[in-house]
Amino acid sequence: MRTVLKRIISAVALCIAASEALNAIPARPEPARLVNDFAGIFSPGQAMQLERMLTAFDDSTSNQIAVVTVSDLEGYSASGYATQIGLDWGIGAASHDNGVVVLIKPKYGDSYGDVAISTGYGLEGAIPDIYCKRIIDSEMIPHFAAGDYYAGTVSGCRVLMQLASGEISEPRGDSSEFSLFGLLAMFILFSIIFFAILGSNGKGGRGGNNGGSGGVDADDLIRGIILGNILSGRGHRGGHPGGFNGGFDGGGFSGGGFGGFGGGDFGGGGASGRW
Amino acid sequence: MKKGLTISIIIAVILAGLFFWVKNSYNRLVSGEEQVSAAWAQVENVYQRRADLIPNLVATVKGYAEHESETLEGVIAARAKATQVTVNPDQLSEDEIAEFQAAQGELGSALGRLMMITENYPDLKANSNFADLQAQLEGTENRIATERKKYNDTARAYNVSVRSFPANIIASIFNFETKGYFKAADGADTAPVVEF
Repeated sequence: MRTVLKRIISAVALCIAASEALNAIPARPEPARLVNDFAGIFSPGQAMQLERMLTAFDDSTSNQIAVVTVSDLEGYSASGYATQIGLDWGIGAASHDNGVVVLIKPKYGDSYGDVAISTGYGLEGAIPDIYCKRIIDSEMIPHFAAGDYYAGTVSGCRVLMQLASGEISEPRGDSSEFSLFGLLAMFILFSIIFFAILGSNGKGGRGGNNGGSGGVDADDLIRGIILGNILSGRGHRGGHPGGFNGGFDGGGFSGGGFGGFGGGDFGGGGASGRW
Repeated sequence: MKKGLTISIIIAVILAGLFFWVKNSYNRLVSGEEQVSAAWAQVENVYQRRADLIPNLVATVKGYAEHESETLEGVIAARAKATQVTVNPDQLSEDEIAEFQAAQGELGSALGRLMMITENYPDLKANSNFADLQAQLEGTENRIATERKKYNDTARAYNVSVRSFPANIIASIFNFETKGYFKAADGADTAPVVEF
């Protein structure tokens, strides 16, 4: 009786484990980021710097390199996990399939540390599996083994960037135009809100003291945003007299945002290593 | 006279509706079948990629581990057998895929044994050519797992469309058949994580 119960329990536990393994891949981050430090191995400053480097690379060449750290591989192989993240999140542009996933599972106590690089279909030629293996073995693991995850990741990404930009190097023209257009739209929108609030304040001056103070705060905020927009817009135009061509390299970058994943496809290319 | 005209208009509308329904369902099934065939072509591609790596790998290992000839011959024999088993891409029947999977699985385990014995030869492991082959083999195994999963997903979506009502009527008239899957039973889908 007891053994039967035990068996049932273990069977149920197995089922739960199996179903969890299916859902183990973390959901696509909102808003989209290129650096997803789920294991917490980077300091906030390091993560930001890395994000900035990878976003600038995405802006200038359209290749997307995503760095993901996890504390557990949930039964996947490191390469399998990295590929699955690439597929689920759709890293890289759909037209080029030019995404790369760098997955790091840090070393905890007795367990091995794992690292995998997975390349999208479009980059399999530019970054062959052998190169991935060499990047892992000579650029990343020596730093990781010394406990410096940031240095290893940066130097690995640098090599990946060099290799990837040789194959596909297409500045994000459309997105830069879009961001300029978006800036204008945002400016108009905020102006409307700004004047609407200004108008309502003037009309209902006596109406609500409670609302009044809130209104002033919102006003300041909006004024700040508009001012910021104008300044950044002016800086943008002033800094790049060459027009659009000049704007490409710095455009999205100074906007500070990564535009999001493009739906790139992965075929399982890449390599993995452990230390 | 007027009544007859109305009836013929109604019949014409119904016929037109029927025609467009059949056309749309049929075309959807055709494009679904094409997607499954394309996914299958990718599966064969990556298995072929693995088969292409083997002669080089065997030659490299042979230079360092001559007296492991039994294991080496096992790999060569399994490769020869696996490359003979082909699947008709128009049919992709359950049985043919199972046979294909069994032959490739045998090659996979023969390769596994080969990689296991290489652990005993430090000189071989230090060979950079061997290290490169090993990296390529690993990438290929991961590609196989990925493309198999993609094929299964595509085939599943297609099978659902073949079997669900009312498209199943069109499917049975025009002989669209469900496609087979790769089975995960042999544990090849989830590469075992070896902890030392």
